[in-house]
Amino acid sequence: MDFGTIFTRERLQAAAVAATLALASPAVAQDYPSADETLDWTIAFGPGGGNDIMARNIIDILTKYDLYPGDIQAENRAGGSGAVGWGYLYTQSGDPYGISTTSGSFVTTPLQADTPWQPEDFTPVALLTTDDLVLVVNRDSEIQNIEQFIEHAKANPMNIGGTGTVNVDFIVPTLFAQKAGFEFDYVSFNSMSEQTTALLSNALDAMVGNPGEILGLIESGDLRPLVFSGQSVPDALAGVPTMGELGYDIGVSMPRGLILPPDAPAEAQEWWIETMKKVVETPEWGEYIRSNTLTPTVIYGDEFGAFLSRTKNGFGEVLRSVGAIQ
Amino acid sequence: MDVFSDLMMGFSVAISPINLLYLLIGAMVGMVVGVIPGFGPSAGLAILLPVTFGMDPTGAIMMLAAIYYGAMYGGTITSILLNTPGESATVASTFDGFPLARNGRAGPALVMQAAASFVGGTVGVILITILAPMFAQVSRSFGPPEYFLLAVMGMLTLIVMIGSHWKLGVISALIGFALGTVGVDLETGQGRYTFGSAELIGGVYFIPVAIGLFGLGELFFAFYTGLHRTGTGGIVQYDRQSRFWPTAEDWLSTRMTMVRGSILGFVVGVIPGAGATIASLMAYSTERSISRNGHNFGNGEMAGLVAPETANNAASSGAMIPLLTLGIPGSASTAVLLAAFLLWGLRPGPLFMETNPELAWGLIASMYLGNMALLAISIFAIPLFVQIIKVPYRILGPTVVVICAIGTFSVHASFIELYLMFAAGVIGFFMRLYGFSPAALVLALVLGPLAEEALRQTLTISRGSFMIFVDRAPSLWIIGVTVTLVLLLPLLNRFGSRNAASAESAGG
Repeated sequence: MDFGTIFTRERLQAAAVAATLALASPAVAQDYPSADETLDWTIAFGPGGGNDIMARNIIDILTKYDLYPGDIQAENRAGGSGAVGWGYLYTQSGDPYGISTTSGSFVTTPLQADTPWQPEDFTPVALLTTDDLVLVVNRDSEIQNIEQFIEHAKANPMNIGGTGTVNVDFIVPTLFAQKAGFEFDYVSFNSMSEQTTALLSNALDAMVGNPGEILGLIESGDLRPLVFSGQSVPDALAGVPTMGELGYDIGVSMPRGLILPPDAPAEAQEWWIETMKKVVETPEWGEYIRSNTLTPTVIYGDEFGAFLSRTKNGFGEVLRSVGAIQ
Repeated sequence: MDVFSDLMMGFSVAISPINLLYLLIGAMVGMVVGVIPGFGPSAGLAILLPVTFGMDPTGAIMMLAAIYYGAMYGGTITSILLNTPGESATVASTFDGFPLARNGRAGPALVMQAAASFVGGTVGVILITILAPMFAQVSRSFGPPEYFLLAVMGMLTLIVMIGSHWKLGVISALIGFALGTVGVDLETGQGRYTFGSAELIGGVYFIPVAIGLFGLGELFFAFYTGLHRTGTGGIVQYDRQSRFWPTAEDWLSTRMTMVRGSILGFVVGVIPGAGATIASLMAYSTERSISRNGHNFGNGEMAGLVAPETANNAASSGAMIPLLTLGIPGSASTAVLLAAFLLWGLRPGPLFMETNPELAWGLIASMYLGNMALLAISIFAIPLFVQIIKVPYRILGPTVVVICAIGTFSVHASFIELYLMFAAGVIGFFMRLYGFSPAALVLALVLGPLAEEALRQTLTISRGSFMIFVDRAPSLWIIGVTVTLVLLLPLLNRFGSRNAASAESAGG
């Protein structure tokens, strides 16, 4: 019996040593990041999309300022609204050389499909920016400002267009309407340009959209901006109130951030937090934020993790209440 | 002249060396795709789409568009020399093209088809230049009700045009609609037939379906009909030296045919659901009834070759109008082109030409240049393409299977889509065998979800009232045009109906 116990203990110790080696070998703590390891950067969407653009901007900045010593290999692993790419990162558990950027689908896809992973599983590095929405009406509309809009909407329900349903486009106006006390019919579209066309053809009463995508039409006067969902208004929308300023803060936005695989070593997480602090200070990053009309909202590490689960729960609640998900 | 300055800007984009190179590659590939029998532009485009990843979107779209209209040039070479249309839009070109070759006039027939294709294509682009901005203006008054009606119009036109086999066409379209219901319901956000799979959230992607149906399905069918055995024994030899060029009589007698073919082809091309195959068949039958030599059609009449050739090229240009200004594809090939735009995050629609002027006008300008290049290629490089016809099927077949598989996999790196492609290949074979219409299936797969979404958006906006379709002036217009088309087309298409079903199912 004793012999057996010792044997078992020895085996356990051996296994523990082996496991430690397996975990630590790619990341001998002090050496992270090693110049010999290639960083495997997963982009969970195809080329040209918002996620791809942000990832490639960060990589360009890392390369330009020599912030990362080794090679960076970015790969688009698109499919299943991000499920494929983040699923791949999930399988890299413990590996400090796997990395990815998040977007709205990072929260919504696991709510919709049986993904093996949840947003909380990953090692959070930083929330970098949020995509916020602006509510607009057609230039022909008699509604001039948000006060008139709410007043009008309370008297006779209007329709508001947006892109998708399991999406911030639906959640933002829903929460706003609850707070402001009006009802509306949500009309779901496949793309920004389809809903813009519908609004311009006077089929819709109003719509929500990313300011970056409709800035041209706002500047030309075709669309009239009424209210903005972010914490601070981008320069291009100066004069437009935020929902918070009206007293109807909804506290939800699309998180664009950086994550590592689940259980990534703490050294790696810290290294990336420090590095991203340098990245967001570069003029290139400022230009990226400006040209895409994003709201710079930077929080790091576990605070970002808490933000993700808060957002996920908020989304889940609204979507369950309308029956979009079970 | 606003249009003129826009067009000049387009030329300045198109004439950059790299874009010209892409354009030439596209034109050559289009010729090859057209030449290989049973391999139409829709399959060629779908398979080559992933190759363009990483390219600049403008160059990539110019190249893909050149493949699309280049196939109309290439397809006729085999129609004339082999009596086998290279793709469905050149079926009508065999009627008089092959008899001309048999009569020892293969050279003039090849030159005249190149000239006719050039005239049709160029008239088509000129009309795009003038009309596309106008269409874009009109389509700005289009909302969900109009999009629903346009999708319905596209499907109705396609089915009416299939003619005698319309029941099989309807069944094909219904299969497409059924596949189109897979994925997240846009309005409620609930998954439909996704079985919890993340890969199916986005629905059944139509690229693998198109590659399978048109690429593999056609290949299987070619084996079934024994094309690999008969091979290329039947090529009509032709003389490059004497009697290669058409006579003055050939030119003079067909000049009005070219005008009629171009205009008819363009108009048919603009109608969603019609397209190049139908345009060529209609032009042939119209010309036969107008021409003084109508009784001689089918025995090697030059006008009988020129009419369908101008029409199919003009139609392929015409189909760019609804694609660019509405984002509505009229055929399987333009559906693949639409997918190409979407892959680059470009959404064609009423605002497209305004927000992406360089790309839109660059594309239009490139079509002028592309047609010129194709004219030169198809006259001077005919011997080269004749060699392609001689490639035996034992080499061609496996190559096509491999390219189809790589092409499908490289889009989303999805194994499910790979299985889907092979399944579509088998289904496509049986559809061909029993006279169903793969083109109707693919178009329904694209238009079905569009129609469903637009209808539900419409009814949400109108709070359930169908009166919105008659209250809105643009809707009322579309209903009027649709009714007219459905009533008139079968009359115009009396001749075409016999051939359209078999031709349309070959790939359109």
